[in-house]
Amino acid sequence: MSWTPKTEFPVLTARIPTPPFGEMKDRRTVWYDEYAKTGGYDGLRKALSMKPADVVDTVKTAELRGRGGAGFPTGLKWTFLPKSEDPNNPGVRYLAINADESEPGTFKDRLLMDFDPHLLLEGIAICCYACRLSKAYIYIRGEYHHQAMVVEKAIKEAYDKGVFGGKGLLNGASTATGEVWKVECHLHRGAGAYICGEETALLESLEGKRGWPRNKPPFPAIKGLFGKPTIINNVETLAHLPSIVSNGSAWFHKQGTESKIGGPPSFGTKLMGVSGHVNKPGVYEFDLGIPLRVMVEKYCGGMRNGKKYKGAIAGGISTGILGPDQFDAEMDFDIGRKYNVLGLGTACPTIFDEDTDMVAVARNIARFFKHESCGQCTPCREGSGWLYQLLSRIEAGDARTKDLDLTLEIATSMGAMPGTTICGLADGNNWATRTIMNKYWDEFVARVRPTYVPVTMSVGAAARV
Amino acid sequence: MAWITKKSGSLEVERRSQPYLTDEVKKKITEVYLPRYETKHGALIPALHAVQESAGWLPHQALMEVAEFLELKPADVLDTASFYEEFWLKRKGEHVIAVCRSIACEFCGQKEVTEACKKKLGIDVGETTEDGKFTLIELECLGACGGAPAALVDHTLHEFIKPEQVARLIDDASKHSGHH
Repeated sequence: MSWTPKTEFPVLTARIPTPPFGEMKDRRTVWYDEYAKTGGYDGLRKALSMKPADVVDTVKTAELRGRGGAGFPTGLKWTFLPKSEDPNNPGVRYLAINADESEPGTFKDRLLMDFDPHLLLEGIAICCYACRLSKAYIYIRGEYHHQAMVVEKAIKEAYDKGVFGGKGLLNGASTATGEVWKVECHLHRGAGAYICGEETALLESLEGKRGWPRNKPPFPAIKGLFGKPTIINNVETLAHLPSIVSNGSAWFHKQGTESKIGGPPSFGTKLMGVSGHVNKPGVYEFDLGIPLRVMVEKYCGGMRNGKKYKGAIAGGISTGILGPDQFDAEMDFDIGRKYNVLGLGTACPTIFDEDTDMVAVARNIARFFKHESCGQCTPCREGSGWLYQLLSRIEAGDARTKDLDLTLEIATSMGAMPGTTICGLADGNNWATRTIMNKYWDEFVARVRPTYVPVTMSVGAAARV
Repeated sequence: MAWITKKSGSLEVERRSQPYLTDEVKKKITEVYLPRYETKHGALIPALHAVQESAGWLPHQALMEVAEFLELKPADVLDTASFYEEFWLKRKGEHVIAVCRSIACEFCGQKEVTEACKKKLGIDVGETTEDGKFTLIELECLGACGGAPAALVDHTLHEFIKPEQVARLIDDASKHSGHH
C-alpha cells in the first residue's frame, strides 16, 4: 500500500525528536530560552498584532478540529461565547485546558507536557487573547507527577518572562486592540478519576467537588466554571494554534486530508500514540488520513515477533475496535462512519496480534468502565457492572449461549438512547463491547456452552385429553 | 434499615492532639492555592493533595481540619475526598507500587509483573506489608501505553518492566524515604 506524507517537516514535534525526523531517545525537555530561540512565541506575537476576532476567524477557516476525541471544530466552539459590548472588558471568563488524559490507549498529550510545555503555554496565551479570557487552568491528571512538575516550572518561567501575569501578555506588548491583555495561568492537579476528562466533570472538579458531569444546557461557553463563560480545549488542540496563526489557514489545509465521504475535513497533523504488539511503540506525528497498516509497518517497525495483525482499538478504548479486515483503515475523522467504530477518538491505536484473546480484551475494557463510572446515572452504573460480570463469566468458560445475547442486549442499550445518561461514558462502553462482540463473534461463541431449553411434551393418551 | 446501623452513621473520629494541617501546609494553602480560585471550595483538591503529601494519608481528623480551615462542611470535604482514587482515606504504606492493568499493559505482560511484585513483597494486590513499608495496588491506565507494561513506584513512572526487574525496583524504592 502506498501512502506519501504531505507534511515534509514536523509541526507539533518540531522540537521533540520523533521518527522519521529524529530518534525518540534524544527527547529532552525544551525550556523557555531554547523555545524562544527556535521561533517560540512568534505565533503569539503575530496573534497580538491581529484583532482578536481575526485570530478566531483564522482558526475557524483553518477548520481545526478538537484533538481531545470528539473532533468538534475549535473555532466554532469559541464563537459560542457570549458576545460582549466592550471586547476589552468582557468580565471574568475562563479557559480550562483538558490534560486529564486517562483513556486507556491514549498517551499523546503527555509527550507535549514532557518535552515542549511552552508550546502548550503559547497556545493558551493565543486562545486567551483571541477569546478574551482572563484566567486559564491546566487540569492535569494526578498520575502525571513528572509532567505536573515540568508544566509548573514552565508556567513559572512564562510568568518570569512576562508571557503571563500583571504586565499583560509578553510584557505588555502593544496589541491590535490598543490595550494590553492580561492572562493568569495555573496548574490544577486532578486526583485519579477518568470521568474528570469529561468537560463538565472537569469543571466540577476544578470547583473542588466530586467529578460528576453536569446536565447540558447550559453549555460551558455560556455558564461554565464558577458559573462564568468557559472554553475547554485539549492540550494538543491548543498546541496547534501557534503554527496556525503564524502560517495561516491555507498552510494548515495542505496537511491532513479532505473527507472522502463528503463529511467535514480532517486537516492538519495529529499526534498518534501507538501501543500494543508493535516493535516500536510510542508517540508519532502523522498527517490525518494515514492508513493504520502504513503506520504500523512503515513507522512502528511492524508487528512484534513477526506475528499477524488481528485487531486494533481505534483511538482510546471507548471508540471500539477495528476488525481483522480493517487494517487498511485511514486514521481520520471519517473512520467512524467508514469502519463501524465510534470515531477517531484520540487517534492513539492499540494494536493486537493474532495470539490475543478478544474475550479478555472485552473483559478488560468492561472492567475499566465499571471502575470509572461515576455512578450518577443508573444505566451506566448498573450496566457497566453487569457487563463486567457477564464478560468475566464468558472468559472463564462458565457462560451459556443466552449470556451472549444478554451481554449484547445490555451493551447495545447502554447510553444509546440520548438523554438516558448525562455524559458519553456509557456510550463508549456500549461501542467498545458491541464492536468487539460483533467483529469477533466466533470467539465468543466458542467460549460458551449451549443453552438447553427444557421441552416438555405430552404424548399418547394424555395429549388427547 | 441499613442506614441506622451503618458505620458512617455513628462514626467516631480518631483524634490526636497534634494537628495534621501543619502551619506550613496552611501557609501554602493561603498563599498559593486560595488566590487561584474564585471560591474557597475551589482550593479543596490542592489542599487535600498538600495535606496528604505531608501526612501520608487523609485521616478523618485531617478532613475535618481542612473543612474548618476552608470554611466548608465536613461532609463536603468527605464527599470530594472519597470520590477520588488518589486520596487515601486508609493508611497506606510508605511506598506505593501501582501497576497499570489497562488494555495495553495487560496484553503486554502486566500479569507477570503483578505476580513478581506479589512474590517479592509477600502480599496480595490491595494490601500493605506488615512493616508498613509497601502498598501494592493495581490502577487503571497510567497514560504510558507506549511503554507497557508500566508501573508507578511512588511518583516515578517505570516503563517496559520485565518481571525479573521488579525485585530491584522495589529494593531501590525502599532506599529512598517515601512521600510523607
